[in-house]
Amino acid sequence: MTPAPPRPKNQNSSQGFTSLGWLRWVLPVALIAVPLLASELQLRRFTQVLVLVLAVLGVNLVTGYTGLISLGHGVFVGIGAFAMANFLDEWNLTFFLALPLAAGVAGLAGLILGMPALRVRGIYLALITFGFALVFGPVARRLGSITGGPTGRSINRNLDPPAFLGLPEDYFQHYRYALCLLVVGIWFWIVRNLVESRMGRALRSVRDDQLAAVVFGVNPVTVKAGVFSLSAAMAGTAGALQAYLFPFVSHADFDVFLSLRLYAAAVLGGLGSIAGAIYGVVALIIVPALNGLIGIIGSEEIVFGLGLIVLTYIAPNGIAGIVDRRRAEADTDSTTS
Amino acid sequence: MDLFIQRLFDGLFNGAIYASLALALVTIYRSTGLLNFAQAELATFSAYVGLVLAGGSMGASFGGLAGTGLLDGLPGYPFSVPVAVLLATIFGMVAGALLEVVIFRGLERGSPLALVNVTIGLLIVLSGLTTQFWGGAARIFPQLFPADFDDFVWIGGARLRYTTIGSWATLLVVLVVITLLMNRTKAGLAFRAITSNRESARLMGIPVGRTLMLGWAVAGGLGALAACLTASVVSFSPFTMLGALIYALAAATLGGLDSPKGAIVGGIIVAQAQTMIPGYLGLPTELAVVAAVIVLVVVLLFKPSGLFGTVRVERV
Repeated sequence: MTPAPPRPKNQNSSQGFTSLGWLRWVLPVALIAVPLLASELQLRRFTQVLVLVLAVLGVNLVTGYTGLISLGHGVFVGIGAFAMANFLDEWNLTFFLALPLAAGVAGLAGLILGMPALRVRGIYLALITFGFALVFGPVARRLGSITGGPTGRSINRNLDPPAFLGLPEDYFQHYRYALCLLVVGIWFWIVRNLVESRMGRALRSVRDDQLAAVVFGVNPVTVKAGVFSLSAAMAGTAGALQAYLFPFVSHADFDVFLSLRLYAAAVLGGLGSIAGAIYGVVALIIVPALNGLIGIIGSEEIVFGLGLIVLTYIAPNGIAGIVDRRRAEADTDSTTS
Repeated sequence: MDLFIQRLFDGLFNGAIYASLALALVTIYRSTGLLNFAQAELATFSAYVGLVLAGGSMGASFGGLAGTGLLDGLPGYPFSVPVAVLLATIFGMVAGALLEVVIFRGLERGSPLALVNVTIGLLIVLSGLTTQFWGGAARIFPQLFPADFDDFVWIGGARLRYTTIGSWATLLVVLVVITLLMNRTKAGLAFRAITSNRESARLMGIPVGRTLMLGWAVAGGLGALAACLTASVVSFSPFTMLGALIYALAAATLGGLDSPKGAIVGGIIVAQAQTMIPGYLGLPTELAVVAAVIVLVVVLLFKPSGLFGTVRVERV
């Protein structure tokens, strides 16, 4: 009887890319523990960062799975937030209608901006999306009727949980947290199914060899535009949820550094890996916290930037790559012993 | 007509800034294939070093946030402004060369993704350091050329400011030096060899790494000079040069990303468009930046080689 061959260590199997590994057990525990342990203010902060995971996952989908470098996803976060503010305040829509509409507006913006951008490749796309990120602030400043101009605008709608739930006021923040978690969960489910499907293979084929993809009947332009639009919708959802959690939106919140932070988080976490988006956002939460504790370097930016440079050398696949490698080593150890 | 000349003059100063930044971008791009998104931050950092050297770290500043940087309140060095600018430019050159050695040499064969990651990381770090050291608020730097309200000459019924004349004079001197360096010295010859074919150059025994250092030094110095010139005219914050970067990127793309001549011409054209278009069409000036991005997209889509760049043929 021949022994079972050891599992290959390759990084390309879809299993290595999408499985959450130990996160599958740790994550639910952590996500349930946080609202029980945190104060209301901490929970609010935590939720605001948590929804950013959607934007990071969007960057990951575009840059990691499809190989399109996007330095401009903060733009779509901003569009989602401003759209949400207008839908809630000007159009008087309910939250449950405004959220998908805001995501749709961001997705449409992604399609419109993506159409020209996606005809160029590699560093040129990085250049164009960087340009988008740089001009979004000035443009938003100017469109005062939508964005509130230089000062920003507050959302005056009552965003409390529906009255029929009968929640006491102490639990409003928990409700918001649960709602955001649900939305984030739905998006993760969509992306997971997408990348494991025929479409996911099409994305990776466009990334790895566009010519071969064409030969196999994949239309790269359609695939790229579709995935760019979808990821923009995800970023837009993140923005809309942020506007919901903190009812004030201003152009200053969506400057070029938001786009760069999202990109950095996606790369740090691990491109081309769903778990990577989670690690990236964990880094977004932990680095400032650690910084606050140690207090040597007053700026989390410096830590992120250095992390980006160092990881490019030692772990091109980000934190998820390190975790995967550990797991693969553990697997071979257990099969050989 | 007077108005036209006035607008022409108004655009000239920005033209000098965009041209220098674009030339810095092009110098690195043509030798390494890397678009240095961190160019503006490196320039900004150098300009603040110049501020310290000119003894201005306690200088007048705007806004309530001023004086919150780590280095604020330290006494500066009492160099005169031109010497401080010169030293800041040298600092930019050294910093550029060091970045090549420490960070970019190891990625010589890196994928576009790796190069973008590192430049973005660098951008974030440098911007963080600048705001840490000197705070995020805008402040007034010492003047390099007389830049007061009445410092101008009348030409054809329009005002040409001394700062514009001085900046262009400086830039022209620098351009002559760079041209001589590239065309008359052995190091320049090596640099041109590398830009035309790196592998052959390496086989001919040209020290590629050391020569690329030269390119980075030139770029770092040009950026530092552009930032110092900007800082001596407008109130300067850690984010001022980032605003200029988008115009410089548009200028470099318009001129052709691998053409030094194109960078200069592109810088002048973009700056003129920036003052002329809103001026004559009555558009808000802030939206000129949108035109810059449109230029970027249109050139990359329809004529990626720009005005003077090399046409690249892709073999399928």
